[in-house]
Amino acid sequence: MYQIRKRRVLSLLLGAAAILGASSASQAATIRVVLGYYSAATQGLFEGMAKDFMEKHPGDEVKIEVIQWDNLQQRLTTDIAGGTAPDIAMIGTRWLVDYVKNDIAEPLDGYMTPEFKAGFIESFLSPSTFDGKMYGLPVAASARAMYYNKDLLAKAGVNEPPTNWDGVVDAAKKIKALGTDAYGFALQGKEIETDAYWYYSLWTHGGEIIKDGKSGVASPQAIEALALYKMMIDEKLTEPDPSGLNRQDIERLFKQGRIGMILTGPWLRGQIKTDAPNLNYGLSSIPEGSNKATYGVTDTLMVFNSSPNKELAMKFLTETAFSPKWRIEFSTKEGFLPVMKEEAAAPVFANDPQLKAFTDMLPYARFAPPVANWEQMVDAVIAALQKVYIGQAQPEAALKDAAATIDGLIEQ
Amino acid sequence: MASSSSSAGKASEVGARRGKTRAGTQANGRIGSVSAPYLLILPAILFAFWIIGYPIYDMANMSVHAVNRFGKTTAFNDFANYQRLFSHQLFLGCLIRTLVWTVFVVGGTVILSVPIALVLNEKFYGRTLARIIIMLPWAVSLTMTGIVWRWSLNGQFGMVNATLSSFGLQDTPVEWLATAGTAFPILIAIGILVSIPFTVTVILGGLSSLQADIFEAAKIDGASGWQRFRYLTLPLIRPFLNIVLVLNFIYVFNSFPLIWVMTQGDPANSTDILVTWLYKLAFRYGELGIASALSIVMFLILLALTITYAALAMRHERREI
Repeated sequence: MYQIRKRRVLSLLLGAAAILGASSASQAATIRVVLGYYSAATQGLFEGMAKDFMEKHPGDEVKIEVIQWDNLQQRLTTDIAGGTAPDIAMIGTRWLVDYVKNDIAEPLDGYMTPEFKAGFIESFLSPSTFDGKMYGLPVAASARAMYYNKDLLAKAGVNEPPTNWDGVVDAAKKIKALGTDAYGFALQGKEIETDAYWYYSLWTHGGEIIKDGKSGVASPQAIEALALYKMMIDEKLTEPDPSGLNRQDIERLFKQGRIGMILTGPWLRGQIKTDAPNLNYGLSSIPEGSNKATYGVTDTLMVFNSSPNKELAMKFLTETAFSPKWRIEFSTKEGFLPVMKEEAAAPVFANDPQLKAFTDMLPYARFAPPVANWEQMVDAVIAALQKVYIGQAQPEAALKDAAATIDGLIEQ
Repeated sequence: MASSSSSAGKASEVGARRGKTRAGTQANGRIGSVSAPYLLILPAILFAFWIIGYPIYDMANMSVHAVNRFGKTTAFNDFANYQRLFSHQLFLGCLIRTLVWTVFVVGGTVILSVPIALVLNEKFYGRTLARIIIMLPWAVSLTMTGIVWRWSLNGQFGMVNATLSSFGLQDTPVEWLATAGTAFPILIAIGILVSIPFTVTVILGGLSSLQADIFEAAKIDGASGWQRFRYLTLPLIRPFLNIVLVLNFIYVFNSFPLIWVMTQGDPANSTDILVTWLYKLAFRYGELGIASALSIVMFLILLALTITYAALAMRHERREI
């Protein structure tokens, strides 16, 4: 009896020792990376990076999870609240401010060399920098430009793409005069980026979303910018009832050859290649008012300060994910603009004339302002735009309402 | 268990005192027989309270504290979340729209479902097929229904416009979901459409439980079809109508997928009901404090309405007896 018990105790001790020994010997770490879904290629690209990294660091593991963008914020919120946050996450750069404010994002400067940081194109770093500290690495970037249907414009007697708003209105009137089912200028009126479609007009008219800590969406320039769109709707230069169409809808109309001019990002090039290869289109810059401007959007890879493996997580980013090889592969497959200098110099980007329309706009790129409550402000702006588009309110009154809401949110 | 064995023991006592003993046993055993069933279901009740009650407690707790966007509760904040909710410019509009939406969808569903159920209760050739067709929408998820209707109603590519223009009924495309004036009634109509299968099923169940002979008796006594419906069918299926009204009210009040898929509350929040706004508050804006206050308010509204309705329905039944 005693013998048996003694033996059992011994074997238990031995087992415990074996477990302890095994875990102290290997020191293996696992990094969890949560990513947003861009396309069917996203998972494969990052799996490739993970494989590369694991070969260089035997024993360590990188786990990749890809999630739809619609659910990403909700998923990260619940993970953080439940104490199971990943080590690295891809987020919209405009969300970063909330993560920084709530002390969830790790400042990254201490983990990278100055040379590595200098490798980025300067303008893409500012949206993820707060109080001089970098909290994220820009992973995907896009700027917007104007796509125009060469055939349609030629038929209407316009041989050069318009460079300013007067030219756009003029060309749209000529397309309308053709009497076909084509519309001159595409305008989206619902769901994601409905606000952004108006910022093109706002910024080029010299307006600002937020100026001196106050909302600028009811400034005279902003009212002028919205009045222009409203006039185009009333004159039937856009498709009827824009508040019924989202971004995909107007892009689809363009692919069908029924839109003269549309403002959107580089992804549409890839879609046209597969969906409408015969479409004769060109790219030019966003029409000017008093200013030149475009919308710049970046997504960011951030590291959680709750992660026990911050060093290793950063190694994965600096050594592999942001190596020129993988950057070029990622940006070309996903259809984004280069964010690193070495990447931009690569022949695929440097020799692509179409891409020039986007990269030429980069010096004028504006980003969503880094403020808290941004999504709520966006919805206030979208509600104001929709009220004007459907004729429920005048531009000035609607925008003043939105500005009051935004000011209230800034004060919070 | 204890009470039954003791009563058995007492029952075997002297026969002459049997009556008295039995009465005594009953009085004695009543405490046990009354509490025993409760004791037996106590674990289940506690479990249910824990499963249902804990989230409610958690939500209520969150609603009176400051909460950051990542769900971390901090200080008690003097009902500031409720204050901000009630003073929010969208609250009243969403509340009114929720009531309009609920009353119209539930009312329309019941008004349409009763005749449909009456027809399906008759014997006719192809009845089974007709019943299957009525039930089919139930098998499709609300999200799928929403997506299909969203495509159909699209102004530029949708089937509805294509059909109308091929019959020459319209010459310019109509964006059905672009204004609240068309979007909200359409949403209500689709809401009714998807609520009909469940409602018809319940009413059909009620109708098939009715006895045929009283209807025959009424017929012989010369009652017209309408009179038989009004004074026999309707009162007899009232309990089923009550079930349908209360359950539909709760489902429709909280119905999220249809509106979310088709309009997301657009344009300009004009098709937002409380539950879609709740989703925006919680997961788009990260206003978890206001969102939990709103959840509690919605819970209380539903609770109050259900209790009131149940009380009224029960009183009605008692009077009829």
